[in-house]
Amino acid sequence: MLPEFEFVMPRSLDDALQVLAVGSPDVLPIAGGTNLTVDMRSGRYEPKVVVNIEKLPELSGIRRENGQICVGGGVKIAELLKDGLIAETAPVLKAACAVFASPLIRNRATVGGNLVDGSPAADTAPSLLALDAEVELTSQEGRRRIPLDEFFIHVRKTARQPNEVVTALRWAVPKPGTGSAFYKLGLRKADAISVVSVAVVLEVEKDVCRKARIALGSVAPRPIRAKNAEQFLIGKVLSRDVFEEAAALAAQAVSPISDVRASAEYRRRMSAVLTRRMLAQAAERAGWKE
Amino acid sequence: MEPKVITLTVNGRKHQVALPPNITLLRALREYLHYTDVKNGCEKGDCGACTVILNGKAVNSCLVLAWQADGGEILTVSGLGTTSTPHPIQEAFADTGAAQCGFCTPGMVMSAKALLDENPHPTEEEIREAISGNLCRCTGYGAIVEAIQIAAERLAEGGQK
Amino acid sequence: MRYKAKPLPPVNLPELRVVGKPLRRVDALGKSVGATVYADDFSLPGMLYAKVFRSTVPSARIKRLDVSKARALPGVACVITHAELPQAVLVTDIPGQTGQKRRAGSDAHVLAKDVVRFVGDPIALVAAETLEIAEKALKLIEVEYEPLPAVFDPLEAMKPGAPIVTPPDNIVSKYKVRRGNVQAGFEAADLIVENTFTVQFVDHAYLEPESGVAWVDDRGVVNIRVCTQVVEHFRSIALALGLPHNKVHIQGTMIGGGFGGKEDITVEIFIGLLALATRRPVKLTYTREESIMAHAKRHPYIITHRTGVTRDGRITAAEIKLVADSGAYVYLSPYVLLYSVGVATGPYRVDNLSVDAYAVATNQVFTSAFRGFGAPQAIFAAECQMDDIAQKLGMDPFEFRCRNYLKTGDWGVNQQIKTAAWLEETASRALEALGEKTPDHGHIKVGQGFASYMQSYGRMMYLHDTSQAWVGLELDGTVVIRSGIPDLGGGQVSAVCQIASELLGVPLDKVQIYHTDSALTPLAGTTTATRQLYMSGNAVYQAASNLRKVLLDRASKDLEEDPANLDMADSKVFVKNNPEHFIPLPELLAKCASEGIHLSNLAIFRAPFTSPIDPENVQGDIWPDFTFGAMAVEVAVDTETGEVTILKCVACHDVGRAVNPAAVKGQIEGGAAQGIGYALMEDCIVKEGRIQTPTLSEYLIPTAVDVPKMKVIILESGTGVGPFGAKGVGEPSLTPAAPAVANAVSNAIGVRMKSLPITPEKVLAALESLKQKEPMA
Repeated sequence: MLPEFEFVMPRSLDDALQVLAVGSPDVLPIAGGTNLTVDMRSGRYEPKVVVNIEKLPELSGIRRENGQICVGGGVKIAELLKDGLIAETAPVLKAACAVFASPLIRNRATVGGNLVDGSPAADTAPSLLALDAEVELTSQEGRRRIPLDEFFIHVRKTARQPNEVVTALRWAVPKPGTGSAFYKLGLRKADAISVVSVAVVLEVEKDVCRKARIALGSVAPRPIRAKNAEQFLIGKVLSRDVFEEAAALAAQAVSPISDVRASAEYRRRMSAVLTRRMLAQAAERAGWKE
Repeated sequence: MEPKVITLTVNGRKHQVALPPNITLLRALREYLHYTDVKNGCEKGDCGACTVILNGKAVNSCLVLAWQADGGEILTVSGLGTTSTPHPIQEAFADTGAAQCGFCTPGMVMSAKALLDENPHPTEEEIREAISGNLCRCTGYGAIVEAIQIAAERLAEGGQK
Repeated sequence: MRYKAKPLPPVNLPELRVVGKPLRRVDALGKSVGATVYADDFSLPGMLYAKVFRSTVPSARIKRLDVSKARALPGVACVITHAELPQAVLVTDIPGQTGQKRRAGSDAHVLAKDVVRFVGDPIALVAAETLEIAEKALKLIEVEYEPLPAVFDPLEAMKPGAPIVTPPDNIVSKYKVRRGNVQAGFEAADLIVENTFTVQFVDHAYLEPESGVAWVDDRGVVNIRVCTQVVEHFRSIALALGLPHNKVHIQGTMIGGGFGGKEDITVEIFIGLLALATRRPVKLTYTREESIMAHAKRHPYIITHRTGVTRDGRITAAEIKLVADSGAYVYLSPYVLLYSVGVATGPYRVDNLSVDAYAVATNQVFTSAFRGFGAPQAIFAAECQMDDIAQKLGMDPFEFRCRNYLKTGDWGVNQQIKTAAWLEETASRALEALGEKTPDHGHIKVGQGFASYMQSYGRMMYLHDTSQAWVGLELDGTVVIRSGIPDLGGGQVSAVCQIASELLGVPLDKVQIYHTDSALTPLAGTTTATRQLYMSGNAVYQAASNLRKVLLDRASKDLEEDPANLDMADSKVFVKNNPEHFIPLPELLAKCASEGIHLSNLAIFRAPFTSPIDPENVQGDIWPDFTFGAMAVEVAVDTETGEVTILKCVACHDVGRAVNPAAVKGQIEGGAAQGIGYALMEDCIVKEGRIQTPTLSEYLIPTAVDVPKMKVIILESGTGVGPFGAKGVGEPSLTPAAPAVANAVSNAIGVRMKSLPITPEKVLAALESLKQKEPMA
């Protein structure tokens, strides 16, 4: 049973923002509903007003502009999975979308919705963090952009204010010599909540690492970047040993819990294993040879 | 929380129904419009029993708020075919034993339909991936995969959608 | 090692016209087009919606229960607590049997009176105009608990001083086997191997949650339309409702999955009580969360094997201890335990045998029937033990088993094997089909493993099982079957139609069955214990045969031939060696009708009737027969993450006779998948009495991506006691899966996996333990 609420169906983003302008946590936007409908049924959220932002045209679109890829907050996971521009410029995100819940969920869930849910296990988060994505948050008062890394605060707590909507994600078109990799470890081979997930994006020039982004999911109260590991890699000549060392540093950055899916210790160990593997894969795709 | 009259076109039939906003499409279909061919297995998007095709996409109807589907087109398993005029996918399911207890079958058939509409010649891997959101506890999926493969062949021969 | 299929003995199974063909099941199309009306799909005008108020604590005295605010809520038709119950008895004993005295201590309360024993224990019932109002009413019920001591581990519960869940000592059932001279057997052994195995709580996870509608009609009869594996529950339901037996009418639906989870009474008494109190129809459908919390689970077990073997691989003695977690209420635990005992050694000859088995109560969700009914747990332990012994002997695991497999005429744990025991035949075929091992690559280690099994079909014979069936012909030549048989998806209904079609020579699409009605169809017994094909198949066979005889006798007059020279097919009676000489069935039937000849037959099939066995030494015939078979599995183990992937899966079972090979294949694949889930990912985790996996996103069952395409090899020895020599395969199909997977993983990583489910973490822990043993990696 869902609780009782007023359901507003605005026709434009402005109309939606008007309703949200009251700035109350009792007023929540809904897009695909794959999180919020479930959460209302379970009693986690009991909003007094729900605002439908599902088909707002201002939240749609995947395009290239000004050297960046721009994805509307309302773009569905299934769209990202099929999109040619994403396949070409953000395979690390496509890989995450391919293992996001189930095909049925992917037809409804949006990238914005996945992020505002604030779950440490959000499937698109590690990839977007590794892409250095920026979140655009819009309210009646205006637009602001913050790095995705600053958007996540804690479990189910993000920088989104009650009067805001995630209107877009942006990241730079990757330079030549960029390689990426993503893996989600779950307790079954499809439709599983991640136990640990790792996304890596590397810029490599003549076997030297120029830029590194390592992001992990389900190993901390929020999706995180392993910044010490990233720093370590800059300027290094890539090798299996270097991947191993960086992976060890990544494992130090995590603060996992034990839950029904896995123990904290296992998550810590897998952080190292998967980071090492994703580094090697990303490096190979960037042109590194062993 | 006032009810609103929404329009849902289900299996080609236009319905106008008044319901409050906190009713999911699943409940609207089953309880308000009596499409009990759409099943409720978990009501939170884990099992796929409630799968319908909404505006061309296979979705968990338990996660869609009915008002969000206002003006939309919905296809359920009973709209795909009947016992006197079954769709080739349904015939194939019946032929291979893909329906044992049959409870997952309505959702499974709709996922199969959505798949074959988009990918008329799927590989076994693609089939398994396409139905990965539809849990089955009885068949072990073997006969279901076979049924979808046979349906794909028959549709290709017969040219019917 | 290359395995070769052992040649089969010659079997002469006559080719039949209908039986043995993979025909489309009679219910298949209706299900495929969504026309089948399941329990929750049915509604009546004026229907109320029910909800159950349940305990949120695992062990407590109810200090105060106040339902007044709930009762006062507008739209609430009625609230029922223990105080309002006429009889308050929920019989949890073996269902559906006559002549068997109800086991003492087998009753629970319909609604808790003073004490709640598990999280989910029902306390009150609400019926309201809408589901929303019913849910609101639940929130208005006030309850105060005084916590009582609780115990959550069966081994702890057995210790003196443990909190008592079931008086006097928490041990709800126990069995012993003492045979031969175990002491001498161990002394004669060259090697003794000891292991302890553990298996977990699992949920049936049928796609259809429990559901039913009840209404009282103008005769004062309580009608209950419900998904149930047992219509004979009407007797126990009548007791709880304070009605005579003939005033409770169960209309069983096509079930959306049972697996034993709908074998016990679920919603029936609740909606019956509410319908009687309100005089309106009442519907109750569990949410998935409620289903997981409040219906029976598979028994967790701790099983210890101590086995003595000679150097050349003969078992000289075995000592086996089994402890099962019975949960908060007894339900079918004594019987589940007995089934475990019956196959505790695995399908092997063990002359010197000692078995001690206990079912112990704890303050956790109650445990009861689940496909295999105690055998999967026992066979898991036995088959992992066999592989471990083989490894320690340095012997091939199949070779080791061949030296010990039971043969027809041998004694299993308690009784003699009387039909074909194609153990070598099935295992060798499964292994041969598995093929060469895929090579290891990188950190992926590949392993192969298999398991043999024996699993009874048919109920314990001391229950004096029967099944009745009515078969008749309409004047237009169509066939009617009336049978109480419940269909939980395994094709129970279609199988008996196929049998009638064969015997009466009427095409399957001209056979109509009316089924699963406690008042209007002859009682066929429970759809449990893999008994329906055996019992109702035989009942329909008998009824159809009797009818056939009558028709052939009458036809012989017109055709001027001895009935022995006549046959029936394509709706005709014809002369065998001159088919052009025939009489169409409708013509024959018209003559019979006008001459007052009965065109129907009501038959009763009786299983052999035995006496109860002595629990101090379980010896003697208990089950009518056993099914034998094997599964072989190849797995890839990622040795850095512990993830397990099933690469290949082969199942080979001797089903006696496959009435419908497609249905048999479907059962085998489905059972294998459910067993793979048991092996790798299903875990209904209970902590301090609370289930930590409340929905299907925490409680994981295999998706289509988790199981490979399987190879199914069906063997037919024709020696079963079912119709046409059929055995049963519904439960047997699951039993070998988990040990096959465990043995494959153990083969891959070189460490014995002894506990289910085999999660990636457990695999890594096992690999760690290996590293610690080897000083140099």
